[in-house]
Amino acid sequence: MKNNKLIIAAAGSGKTTFLVNQALAVESGAVLITTYTEANGREIRDRIVAKKGCMPSNITVQTWFAFLLQHGVRPYQSVLNDSIHSHDIGFFLSSEKSGKKLDAEGNPVLIKGRPIYWGGKDFLRYYFTSRFNIYSDKISKFVFNTDKATKGKLISRISRIYKNIYIDEVQDLAGFDLELIKLMFKSNSSVILVGDPRQVTYLTHHSTKYGKYANGQIKLFVEKELGKRIQCEVDETTLSASHRNNQAICEYSAKLYPDLPAPFACECDSCRVDDAHVGVFMIKPSEVDQYLSTYKPVQLRWSSASKINSNFPALNFGESKGATMDRVLIYPTNPMKEWIKNNAYALKNEGRSKLYVGLTRARLSSTIVMDYQESNCIDGVTFFTFTGNVVN
Amino acid sequence: MRIGKVNIENYKCFEGRFSAFFNEGINIIVGDNEAGKSTILESINLALTGVLNGRYLKNELSQYLFNYNVVNTYLESLRQGQNPSLPEILIEVFFDECELPLFEGNGNSEKVNGCGVIFKIEFDSTYQGEYEALVAEGNDITTVPIEYYKINWKSFARDSVTARSIPIKSVLIDSTSSKYQNGSDVYLSRIIRNDLEDSERVKLSQAYRKMKDTFIDDASVRAINEKISGKAKISDKNLSISVDLSTQNSWETTLMTYLDNVPFHQIGKGEQCIIKTNLAIRHEKSKEANLVLLEEPENHLSHSKLNLLIKAVTDSCDGKQVIISTHSSYVANKLGLENLILLNDQTVTRLPELPTETFTFFKKLPGYQTLRMLLCRKAVLVEGDSDELIFQRAYMDAHGGRLPIEDGIDVISVKLTFKRFLDIAIKINQPVAVITDNDSDYANKITKKYKDYVGYKCVNIFADDRDELNTLEPQFVDANIADLATLCDIVSISSGTYDTAKKVSDYMVGHKTGWALKVFESDTALQYPEYINNAVVWCDEK
Ligand SMILES: [Zn+2]
Repeated sequence: MKNNKLIIAAAGSGKTTFLVNQALAVESGAVLITTYTEANGREIRDRIVAKKGCMPSNITVQTWFAFLLQHGVRPYQSVLNDSIHSHDIGFFLSSEKSGKKLDAEGNPVLIKGRPIYWGGKDFLRYYFTSRFNIYSDKISKFVFNTDKATKGKLISRISRIYKNIYIDEVQDLAGFDLELIKLMFKSNSSVILVGDPRQVTYLTHHSTKYGKYANGQIKLFVEKELGKRIQCEVDETTLSASHRNNQAICEYSAKLYPDLPAPFACECDSCRVDDAHVGVFMIKPSEVDQYLSTYKPVQLRWSSASKINSNFPALNFGESKGATMDRVLIYPTNPMKEWIKNNAYALKNEGRSKLYVGLTRARLSSTIVMDYQESNCIDGVTFFTFTGNVVN
Repeated sequence: MRIGKVNIENYKCFEGRFSAFFNEGINIIVGDNEAGKSTILESINLALTGVLNGRYLKNELSQYLFNYNVVNTYLESLRQGQNPSLPEILIEVFFDECELPLFEGNGNSEKVNGCGVIFKIEFDSTYQGEYEALVAEGNDITTVPIEYYKINWKSFARDSVTARSIPIKSVLIDSTSSKYQNGSDVYLSRIIRNDLEDSERVKLSQAYRKMKDTFIDDASVRAINEKISGKAKISDKNLSISVDLSTQNSWETTLMTYLDNVPFHQIGKGEQCIIKTNLAIRHEKSKEANLVLLEEPENHLSHSKLNLLIKAVTDSCDGKQVIISTHSSYVANKLGLENLILLNDQTVTRLPELPTETFTFFKKLPGYQTLRMLLCRKAVLVEGDSDELIFQRAYMDAHGGRLPIEDGIDVISVKLTFKRFLDIAIKINQPVAVITDNDSDYANKITKKYKDYVGYKCVNIFADDRDELNTLEPQFVDANIADLATLCDIVSISSGTYDTAKKVSDYMVGHKTGWALKVFESDTALQYPEYINNAVVWCDEK
């Protein structure tokens, strides 16, 4: 039976375990698990191999872009433009809007100081680098248009290969990706989308298509854009318990996304450890060194330019995605500090998401480095000093 | 699941593009020796397995794979200072009746949505710089720069494929069976391997590895190795004997197959051929289709063995696809003319639907020379031996002594079965002439009898329209009426006794083959009835 689903997953809710179990439970037909990041794909693959001893022949794990290149671009690559029939088309991960017009020296052509771009009419330069690598920000548009030109053969082919399509980290899909999801929903495959709208990566999408659904609004997309004939169930409960964060961390991080159901701490015995230092804390910068040597948290920062204690391990917020740590020490940006002081502050999407990711890495304690006055009242946070905890 | 179409380009005897369609079940390719029958089988097998002459082609690319003329054209153009594109070999196999979305796409030379694989031997553009330098230096390039070539083997979805990933398993059974150096038979191994489930394959590999380990661990082998390494201090490295551990599936190359305890390669070619064919046909792995490519089975089989083989093929080819190349009209007739693919001048003709009774007629007459008509340039059908001899002689007289067959014209004696042959001829547009008697009733025996063929340009009926001259003898006498004495002389009768046309003619009717043979062998040329001369003229028409 065909069955489409969007599952909203809380951080640490065992999303990977869930997907792996779903895939292994499939008895007939091939399963595609596609992830946004390589790291997540590797994680899923490792988990399957750990469980089964090998990769079952009916399961394929690949990144969204690898999937689009293999099954979206190549099978019908010349349908839109005959001149690339025999080319080996590769992939180019573009960190900015692609297809800048360049002058003879290879420098961007500027008009009034701004770069200008090739348009869709310059087909080859619009979609491809000079070595025929397709730009990451346009690949799904290419696939969508090719499917249209083949009268749906492209999507039909995919749905005949994979009866089950699981799209992980769906919060990172945007623009024409969403059109493709719509087509897959309509196909004969069962499509399960899994993601955490709170953990969007703000790196790779520059599409204006469906812009309003870009910032983790996948649920809204599913509710508003599918039309009557396409069904998709929204499941906000299956993956709402965090097996990582304790209740204090769950509650505090949930304040960043008041419109979404708040995740809660699971009640499994194996997930819960007794410890004297658990919860969400704030320490003064002057106590960072001592805190680091006492609790050994992983330092989380905005970028490598942020100041930290380099004698202890540190990660950027973005890099920490998917990871579980016992304790984290968060170096907030100034806008983050504003939000921490006043939760009504309009923290921008990227900062909001990164703070969420940072807070939800920890099993035991998430501690924020920030100057405070003992008389201040900061909602949800416990002030911590080595001279004694102050609860407000 | 089966193969539906094959395109071959610039490979061996195929200059430019060659295409052929294949049916499910049995396909029989017939054609001249040089027409490339075995090249078709070979290239299909290459595109499906990557194997040529029992070895993976990958590291054995050679200029000889390329069509000679194509290479020459390239070299000539280089010599003239032009910048010709490098020749490229393409073998493309379209699958049919399959649900293999992984192999679907438009990545084929026809740019159509289809299911299949494409095997190319092409210039590796990473060597563009080297090649340009080579050309620029003005070096005399005398052949295709094969060292800059690579194999590009993909599905129509432009995804790389391997022999394992292609679900149609092909087995080529040829007359010069290729073996690994130690005698284990590559085809036999592959047939067995294809039939194994993954788990069985793993077990076999493990058993083989265990056997190797036991060998190396054996006390006597260890002792020998100590001795060798002690004596052979060629360098400071250790010399030892062992079993080849290098390849993963080395059981395939090492294990030998036995038939009644006789190593497989030591039994007769014919028997080998039958066993391999049977193994391949009985292949039972349900998910995969099997394609058996059988090259000229008549070459090394006795008549009775050939019958056994044909029976095996016809009995169990259900759901399998078999492509056979043959010279033998016996094989072709037995396996069904409806499956015939005629190969001529790089083009193929398929014998389309024939009337059912015509099929069964030919099928019941094994050994009948059907193929002769199909393979010649033009066919002349005659009733019997005397007609054959006289027509041949008439032709020779008009062509400086050359036999018709030397000009691709086959004279076939078909008794009274003209129409069966004509039914085939019109299907494949084969030029054919009928030389026949009028039996004293031209209107009925000729005009009416052959009226169904009037619209066909390829069919030409030659007969004498004078009812009073009913058969060849009176017609021939009539043609030589001006000089009966010479005719009598040649057929060795006395012109005194046989002094009228009627008498000579009656004698000849009584000695049918005898007189014709004498005319055929005579030093003196005689006159021929007009319709026979017309048939000779027809042979020379374009
Ligand atoms: Zn738990």
